[in-house]
Amino acid sequence: MRPHLSIFFRLLLLSLVARQSVFPAWADEPEELATPRFSLRGFGTLGMARSSSDQADFVRDLSQPDGSRGQWTGKVDSLLGVQANYRFDDRLEGVVQVASRYRYDKSFRPEVGWAFLKYDPDPGLSLRAGRIGTEFYMLADSRLIGYSYLPVRPPTDYFTPLPIYYMNGGDATLTVPVAPGLAKFKAFYGVAGEKIPIADWVWDFSGSRMFGGYVDYLQGAWQWRLSYAQLRFRHDFPINEVRGGLRLTGVPSAIAAADALSVADRRAHYYSAGVVYDKGPVQAQLMFSRTTQESALFEGSSAGYGLLAYRVSSLTPYLGFSRVRSSANPLTTGLPDAVPPFAALNGGVAAIMRQTHVDQRTLFAGVRWDVRPNVAVKLQWDRVRGEPGSVAFQQGESPAWNGRTDVLSLTLDFVF
Amino acid sequence: MKLFARILALLSFLPCAAGAGEVVVVANAASGVGRLSREQVVNIFLGRFRQFPSGLPAEPIDQPDGSPLKARFYRLLVDKDMAEINAYWARLVFSGRTLPPLKTENSGEVLHLLASRKGGIAYVDRASVDQRLTIVFSPDHDQ
Repeated sequence: MRPHLSIFFRLLLLSLVARQSVFPAWADEPEELATPRFSLRGFGTLGMARSSSDQADFVRDLSQPDGSRGQWTGKVDSLLGVQANYRFDDRLEGVVQVASRYRYDKSFRPEVGWAFLKYDPDPGLSLRAGRIGTEFYMLADSRLIGYSYLPVRPPTDYFTPLPIYYMNGGDATLTVPVAPGLAKFKAFYGVAGEKIPIADWVWDFSGSRMFGGYVDYLQGAWQWRLSYAQLRFRHDFPINEVRGGLRLTGVPSAIAAADALSVADRRAHYYSAGVVYDKGPVQAQLMFSRTTQESALFEGSSAGYGLLAYRVSSLTPYLGFSRVRSSANPLTTGLPDAVPPFAALNGGVAAIMRQTHVDQRTLFAGVRWDVRPNVAVKLQWDRVRGEPGSVAFQQGESPAWNGRTDVLSLTLDFVF
Repeated sequence: MKLFARILALLSFLPCAAGAGEVVVVANAASGVGRLSREQVVNIFLGRFRQFPSGLPAEPIDQPDGSPLKARFYRLLVDKDMAEINAYWARLVFSGRTLPPLKTENSGEVLHLLASRKGGIAYVDRASVDQRLTIVFSPDHDQ
């Protein structure tokens, strides 16, 4: 991907230079002025959040290693992004987006999240190739653009398990009028390039292949979607000690358990359905998802959320509810606990498997205030209520974590 | 009778608040575009599907940012204020999908662009419609 990117930056530099040199010619040609070839835009969020529990870190999603643990912090929601668009002609466009946010290595190091060419041979077909945002769920490819949505952050019970933001690959979108509305079909294929933090480890997602698609129906104020995505993990989860121990026993059931816990080349399947209603001052969203896992290490889960908002002048109060629940995998090593080393192995396996369990619900309420054009201030309260064993969506939970926390957030979102 | 007169006076103000002229959606007369439905106009201006029923690609043109005409048009079309329209475009632009309608500096430029582009479509004050343009939708009256 690196040579590809440097070409992009050269193109961008070139376009900047070109823009300077042809500028005088544009002045007396309003037609060209209206469609500048090059545009630079940006987005950002300045946010503070405080989770009431000091027994686990509240994070925006699993790409963050830590977040708020009873203290105010700016790292959960604050971010800054810049995007350059270059139009080669009416059909071909290049887009590069660089964003800085709190990430897996505890830094705000900027990352190229998008770098692609978009080709629209006609109004109904759009093809993109390069580094593209992933869209496993509706609205998932605009999660960083706080200004574009109502809540402080995408509902965590729904979006937390999606730590992947981009893929290197391509997608195709076909739009067809189907009276009285529009049908959209999208298919994508790509390879992941990101890493995610797991306790003190980093799990390398890069090389994981993914593909999927969705069908949309848009009519009037309604948008309906059904989608499917599949991810094939490239690398194993860093639990080789336990799996090695199981294999060393030589017991067939333990060896089978070690294999069942492997992740490499196993797939996760994401199914989702959603509907958005947006008319006048009313906005409503309802989404459901079901994730199944081929590896016994990860629990399959179901999640959903609903959001209702009503705008009154420049204020938009909203109320939402989300729920996520995973089901434990039946996996036994067949090793008797009576033998102390076996008991230790069994304990290790159980401890690892517990890490992916989640069973919690969140009630959130807030208000968005559109202060001035392109600037919004949001205040939100999240009431997270889960089982004590619901640990997968937090980081660094202590044994005293009881699954409950209240999160207060204040953000300033802007685009420029 | 006095009451009747008052109601009449009140009613006469309703269609065009504050004395502003009527907003109409116009296309280049050479485009051959006939009447459009509200849904079709929404699809074109919100970037969902920019094609006329004839198959001709549509190129929507916006009035300048901050112009009362622009705010009134989107209010009439989808009952949204400009902050919501901006938020909508932030999502589409930063997810690399569609760009907003063409930007302009003044209403004269809108007319110039309409005249120079076969697929051009814009919203203007009814008073500025001449023979080079054809009215394709009237958000005040059409469904």
